[in-house]
Amino acid sequence: MSEVRQETVELWGGKLTVAVSVAGTGPPLLYLHQAAGLAWDPFLQHLTERHTVYAPQFPGTTLGDPYSIHVVDELSDMVLAYEELVRNLGLDNPVVVGQSFGGMLAAELAAHFPSLTDRLVLLAPLGLWRDDAPVTNLLAASAEQLPGILFHNPEVAKVAMAMPEDPETAVVAASQMVWSLGCAGKFIWPIPDRGLRRRLHRITSSTLIVWGRQDAFVPSRYASDFADLIAHSKVAMIEQSGHLPQVEQFDQTAAAVDEFLG
Amino acid sequence: MKVSIFGQAAYRYLPDDFAQHHDSVCDTPYSLVTKDGMYASVRHLIDELLFGARCGLDGVSITEHGQSSYDVMPNPNVVAGALAYVTEAEGLPVAVYPMGRSLGKSREPVKVAEEYALLDVMSGGRLVAGFPVGLSYDASINNGVPPIEVRGRFNENLDLVLRAWRDQIPFAFNGKHIQYPQVNIWPRPLQEQPPVWLTGIGNPATMQQVLERGFGFNFFGFAGSKLTAQRIFPRFWELAEQSNIPRNPYRVGFLQNVAVADTDAEAERLYGKHIEYAFHTGLGAIPAEKLSLPGGIDIRGVQALLKDPADFGMYAQMRTASLRDLIDNGTVVVGSAATVRDQLTELCQQHGIGNLHAMLSFGSMPPELAKGNIKLFAEQVAPHLRKLWSDSGFEHHWWPERLGGKPAPATAKPGEKVSV
Repeated sequence: MSEVRQETVELWGGKLTVAVSVAGTGPPLLYLHQAAGLAWDPFLQHLTERHTVYAPQFPGTTLGDPYSIHVVDELSDMVLAYEELVRNLGLDNPVVVGQSFGGMLAAELAAHFPSLTDRLVLLAPLGLWRDDAPVTNLLAASAEQLPGILFHNPEVAKVAMAMPEDPETAVVAASQMVWSLGCAGKFIWPIPDRGLRRRLHRITSSTLIVWGRQDAFVPSRYASDFADLIAHSKVAMIEQSGHLPQVEQFDQTAAAVDEFLG
Repeated sequence: MKVSIFGQAAYRYLPDDFAQHHDSVCDTPYSLVTKDGMYASVRHLIDELLFGARCGLDGVSITEHGQSSYDVMPNPNVVAGALAYVTEAEGLPVAVYPMGRSLGKSREPVKVAEEYALLDVMSGGRLVAGFPVGLSYDASINNGVPPIEVRGRFNENLDLVLRAWRDQIPFAFNGKHIQYPQVNIWPRPLQEQPPVWLTGIGNPATMQQVLERGFGFNFFGFAGSKLTAQRIFPRFWELAEQSNIPRNPYRVGFLQNVAVADTDAEAERLYGKHIEYAFHTGLGAIPAEKLSLPGGIDIRGVQALLKDPADFGMYAQMRTASLRDLIDNGTVVVGSAATVRDQLTELCQQHGIGNLHAMLSFGSMPPELAKGNIKLFAEQVAPHLRKLWSDSGFEHHWWPERLGGKPAPATAKPGEKVSV
């Protein structure tokens, strides 16, 4: 099993320090996590079997460094910061995988910098809006509503969303998670549409769009929108899954991604 | 001590089972409303505030809540305008005190500066200007501001408003959240600077800002003054002491629901069901997640609240709380004039409170009952409270000069930014 090591990368004129988890061997893969923060899960571990995975933590989501979210204000600047991160890490044509909010960032990165990657995997990305299938406002949901919004199977939700037993650790984890959601909110509130629809045509990478059929956060209806707007793309619809197919249906999701990455 | 009347335009005719089925903010169905009921709810509030002014209270006060059934007050300055004109026309020496326009949600801060300036002109210099950050649901859901930006927007907007009032020559404003090529508002306030008050919920950063910049500090006792006052005010005064700032009670304001009758028993009998209505269908029916959207509270604040939510008093139990609990925890001070006087005197004395904002009409109260409460309070309670700090040696720097205050300008430098 591949060891995860922690690196830090300075960028944005020295004003931003990004924590990056790195593991695996093989060609580089950049993984952009969901709004709640980076969790090193079996899917990431699986990706390390054939790639060197670089998983940066979105500014503000790193424990002990909450205020770096205030360093970058505009989405376009954040995309520039991520491009800088890729260069500073020395990644040459990395595979880019993004989940949910991270999927939106991944799509933005590929749309802004079409030559940055030639293989893109979007797991239920945010970034588009349809009046006939509105994205659920995750940040305004109650704690009781969250499992049902994120998961199809309540049993999986229970395990995936379990908090640490030690009360002190639970407080630290819960407050960091709330803050992390707030950090993403800077770029997805009030509506997770910052014009990505107008930019998706710029993506030239071969793209896999993965979606859980029963996604109650970002409806699977959006999969075909991404597919229609990205030239070289295909959709893998994962059955019996909510918003996190890599957690809820690991085998199906890993198989689809493995096949795409070859 | 200044004793004002505070009011919220609660919709007064909600069904008995409202709190079981509905929240009081954001998605409250408007189908519950009748046109007559809405007209009466707003009309009664304005009548009662004006009645309070005519009874000799020192200020009339309201605040801002959008898309809520417990306070139909999307812009308090509309009502403040009506009150400013009538009190001026009648020669009533009363402060017009919006607590006020929420600057965390405002995307039109120059409009806020202009509205307040116009109120000061209309009232002949009797404006007291409150600036709440804004409740999370109101700033972010009702007004679309990302929760993590609310505090920064508040700070920036406050800088802009104060400068727009003060600067005599037009200026450009290049903010992070808002830009104007030229600001030169007409009118400017009559007062050199209307007294500025911020409303806090216990966050030391807000208290620090109040102290550093020479503002007044308001705290609302809705969640139960017997639970919260002993936490919030000592925290404020301790911070003041650390900065060598004198314990001038006139710097602190407290909002308390009050219900007065001839006897203690009569007061509970008369007001009991309206107290329950007010808290069950008001604050109690605001879901917790709507008050604490992710990013809206600093991460250290989230940690502090998760470890110890006591700053929120009995809020979590409020939707179904018994009348006894509501009274015992101090959501309302209720009783004969003597009882109310004693309790309020003790509270204000203990915590160094020099401004009391009495909420005398609340929930489903019919206007006759509300006016009876206002009259008893104004005649038999307020005169005793007013003397409370007369011998303290302190002057009231946060009250209009025309009404006996000795205003001191806020200490903000032009364009000064406070931390995000």
